[in-house]
Parts: sequence; structure tokens; C-alpha cells
Amino acid sequence: TQLAHYRTLHNWFFPSLSVSPAADPAVISPQDPTLLIGSSLVATCTVSPDFPLKAEDLYWTLNGRRLPAASYTALGPSTLSVALARLNGSRQQSGDNLVCHSRDGGILAGSCLYVGLPPEKPVNITCWSKNMKDLTCKWAPGTEGETFLHTNYTLKYKRRWYGQDNTCQEYHTAGTYSCHIPKDLALFTPYEIWVEASNRLGVAVSDVVMLDILDVVTTDPPSDVHVSRVGDLEDQLSVRWSSPPALKDFLFQAKYQIQYRVEDSSEWKVGGHRRCRGTARGGRGSGCSHLVPLQVVDDVGNQTSCRLAGLRPGTVYFVQVRCNPFSIYGSKKAGIWSDWSNPTAASTPRSERVAGGCDPKGGEQNTTLRRELKQFFGWVKKHAYGCSNLGIKLYDQWRVWLQKSHKTRNQVGKEP
Amino acid sequence: SPTGDSWGIFTFLCAALCNLPALPALNCSEELGAGQSIQQTYDLTRYLEHQLRTLAGTYLNYLGPPFNEPDFNPPRLARAERVPSATVDLDLWRGLTDNARLAANYRAYSRLLCYLRVLDGQVGTAELRHRLAHFCASLQGLVLSIGGVMSSLGYPLPAGPAAPPAPPGAPAAPNDFLKKMDDFWLLKELQTWLWRSAKDFNRLKKKVPPAVVTLRLEARGF
Repeated sequence: TQLAHYRTLHNWFFPSLSVSPAADPAVISPQDPTLLIGSSLVATCTVSPDFPLKAEDLYWTLNGRRLPAASYTALGPSTLSVALARLNGSRQQSGDNLVCHSRDGGILAGSCLYVGLPPEKPVNITCWSKNMKDLTCKWAPGTEGETFLHTNYTLKYKRRWYGQDNTCQEYHTAGTYSCHIPKDLALFTPYEIWVEASNRLGVAVSDVVMLDILDVVTTDPPSDVHVSRVGDLEDQLSVRWSSPPALKDFLFQAKYQIQYRVEDSSEWKVGGHRRCRGTARGGRGSGCSHLVPLQVVDDVGNQTSCRLAGLRPGTVYFVQVRCNPFSIYGSKKAGIWSDWSNPTAASTPRSERVAGGCDPKGGEQNTTLRRELKQFFGWVKKHAYGCSNLGIKLYDQWRVWLQKSHKTRNQVGKEP
Repeated sequence: SPTGDSWGIFTFLCAALCNLPALPALNCSEELGAGQSIQQTYDLTRYLEHQLRTLAGTYLNYLGPPFNEPDFNPPRLARAERVPSATVDLDLWRGLTDNARLAANYRAYSRLLCYLRVLDGQVGTAELRHRLAHFCASLQGLVLSIGGVMSSLGYPLPAGPAAPPAPPGAPAAPNDFLKKMDDFWLLKELQTWLWRSAKDFNRLKKKVPPAVVTLRLEARGF
């Protein structure tokens, strides 16, 4: 529609035909008032003496819609008033357009009506500091945002017991209701932080939040996350990462969390702390659902690593790591978890020979006995070197053999 | 594509001139810049025209009805004259010299950029501010591009730099409704100018390369 409108100007060779009067044709009162929702208003339009228009030549529109003549009253030969009752909140934040027209539709004057509500106290102020260098805070408006008027938010902060208020300058860094304080922040001292909301109808101040920068420290996610196979082991992957560089300078430790998922699933599984303690459930209802403890701990200087176990063979896994600084300058508290690192992927090996494995191939795969045997063989593989030939496959072969020789019943009992 | 022919001419000329053994190595792109600059400026006006459609749509919706109605045509009050008008008599337009044509464009967009920047400072929503900022950056690019064309053709840039503050004589709009009307006319005039500029630069394109380029090389004694 705008396009069509502008196209009418395409004959720009010809001068504009609009009249350009020297003085305003009419005056509206009140001009640009601010009103509370539900209030009523009587507005008047007075035509300038230079113009040959009378009250009966005028009409009103509000936001482009003509107002009923029943609400008009002529207050003088060239003054027409309109009564508006129980106003709704403004249709747009720039104000409702109340316009006084001459009979032929021409605009004589207009007034912007700002109808709305005063702001409510902003709530839920949360802050975090990236590596103790800055502070970012976000909050939520008190109402679900709808005051119908443009509302300005100002984040203020000051050091407790030190007097001077400071105003945050960089807004919208982490969403609409957020602000970033880039420098000049002191450590080991409590700050008071609050948000002021103001619009044409009033001001509202949030509750004051008190915090020490050291309480809300977060850091970058770990870098150089690598996921690799563990030899030929089909159900394990090794994850390695580097601690974020900022950690080195700041005398704090870090704990890590890993999450991983299968390629075609959206469900993340979370594994342990720095020492990778925790459990993981492998697979999904195909003879692989068993609990397996995660392996552990290779803390090699700066780099840290962890082993994921109980995984499905021949499957692609996505892995992410995140980091939480704690024991900052000796404090007991934990910081705030960093973002997850970008996902890294790797696949578990799939041996050609494993016929049974985790593929659903018949009821007997799900028996408790078989499950337990598989766990046993898994354990054997890890703890008893030289038994690599022993595996669930051998058991499967024995079962097959058993079924075949089942036909010759009188022989079953004698087999070892 | 509209750039196809110009590129063809450009590359041919470049190849021909660079292959003449008597000539020292030429930086073809610098010497043959005028024609390409005009094409680029033309392309930029088309791009801005496209961008303006979205910006204007959003902005007029922000102003609310009747400003965003297709047939809206308010009176143009005297105060609004400070926005330079693209409208001009056809014969007058035809008769413009290249210098006058370019200068009119340069002056107009410099002033329009100024007013748009003021708008940017006042506007309510974050989305609009973001769009306006982006548009102003592109418009700044257009002003520089026109300046570049003028320089490469040897014309002086019009006096009065790209950033005069709001002229002290003209008052800011005395009320919010009149300000909305000013904003409406600013956008309308911007649209008209972009349409006109496309025609201005098309006209210039046909006249400038490659004749001017050859002349300049001769003047340097090659």
C-alpha cells in the first residue's frame, strides 16, 4: 500500500499541487495531552480568522476513523468540539492522531493523544560479570510491557556507603531490557543496583539489588574442545578441552560440565563435574539400556579431559563443555556457568564382527541374563587384559549353537 | 544485468590500454574510474530506494493512521520547505549541466541525511532506531559516492558541508502532530529524490564514459 502511494508521485516532473499556507489553518486544544487509560477528553478545534470556514464545515477523525457527529458540539462560529469517553490505550507509541478536517477532507490541525498507564517497578534484576572486568545486568518490565506509552529504562548503580550514583550508558547489549557497564568497577565491595522506569505518566523504581562483582563471575566457555575415540572401544569417547585463558590470571579454579547427545536426538545428557562423576544412560530400549559409570579424570595441567562411556557403537555424538569459576580469590561460592562451547562431534567405532551388539534382533537380546553378561564382558575388557576374545558375541554364538543342538535333546545336558 | 555493458567496455578499454607497449604501467582502475563510479552510484540509489520502502513502511506504521494510509496527502506547510524538493520543471531538468545535476543531488542528500539523523535521535522504538541508523549509513555512502563522481570529473564539491545543524532560523515543529507531518514529508521527499537520482545517473552514464576518459589520458601526454 505504501508502494502504491509513493507511485502516485512518479510524475515528479510536475510541481506539487498542495497549497502552502503561511499560518496554521486551525488550532486544537489540548495540544498533545497525556491521559490515563479510561479517562475522557473534550477537544476543540478553532479555525484561524484568515480562513473562511465555519464550525459546521468541520469534522474529526481519530487514527483515521471519522468520529460520530453526535459527539460534536459547536462552541462558537468557528470552533467545534468533540467529546471522547473512556479512552483506550494509545494504538501506537507515537500517540493517537486526533485530526480536525475541513468538509473536503483537508487536514486543518492535529493533536497527538498519549493514553496509557504509568510504569510498574522493573523486576528480576540479574547481573553477571565476564572475568571480573565488567557488569551486565538485565531486568524485566513490571507489567508485561504494555503501558502503551514509550517507557525509558535507566540502570543505576553505586558503591554502598560511597554516595555517588552512576548511570549505565550502554543499553540493549543482552536483549531489550539490559545494560552493560564496561569499566571502573571495584572488587571486594558491595554495589547497589536498581532500574528506574519512566514514561509520560510517571516513574517507578525497582527494588535495590546488592551484590559484589565477585559473586557473579562467569567466564568464556572452554576452548579447543576435542572429542576422539578411545582406541577400538565402541562405547567410549574421550573429550579434551582447554580452560579458558582468562582463568590463568584470576586465582580461581574451574569446574566443568559436559553434555552430549546422539546425532538425531534433541535430548542432551549431562555428565559430571571436574572429575567426571555421574552416570549416563546409553542407547534407547534396544538391549542397551543399562547404567554405566562414567570414566574419569585425566587432569593434565591446563588441559582437562573426560571419558564418556556407555555409548552406542557406530553412532555420531555431539559434545559440548562449559565452565564455572569457583573459589574466586578464596571465596567459597561458585560463579555462574559459562555458555556451552560450540558442539564438537565424533563417532564411536563399529566393529564389523559385532552382529548382535545393540541392534534389535529378537527377543532373547533383551533378557536380563544377556544384559548382565554383556556388562560382565565389558568389565572384563577393561580390567583383565588378554581376554579380548571374550565377549558377548561368544555368548551369542553359544546360544545359536545351543538352539541347533536342541534338536538332539538327549545331547543338551552333556554340553559344557 | 544492467552492469554488464559497462563492465564490458571497462575491461576492453583496460586491456587495450594496458597492452600498448609504449605506455608505462597504468593503474587501470583509477584512470577509468568515472564511468564505473557513476554506475555504482546508480546502483546505490536503487538499493536505497529498496531499503527506503521497508523503512518508510515501518516508520509510517509507527506514526499511525492516517499517516500510513495509501492515499494520505496532507498539506505541505511553509515550514516543510526546508527539505530540498526533487520536483523540478521537465525542461529545466533536461537542460541541467552535468555539474549542476550532480551538485543538486549532492546538496539534497547531504541535507536529507542531516534531517534523518535528527530523526534517529528522537524516535521511540529500538527497531526503528536500528533501521534508521542502517539507512543513514547507506545514505552517507551515497553522498560520498556522488562526491567521488564529481571529483573524478573535475567538479568542485558544493560549498556547505554534509552536516549543517538544523538551520537556526527555522524552528523545530511546534507540536507533535506537525512534527509527524514533517517526518512524513521528509520520507516522501527522500523517495522522490531516489527516483529522480536514478534518472539523473542514467543520463550521466550515457554521457560520461569513455569519451572523458580518453581525453584525460591525452591531456597527460601519453
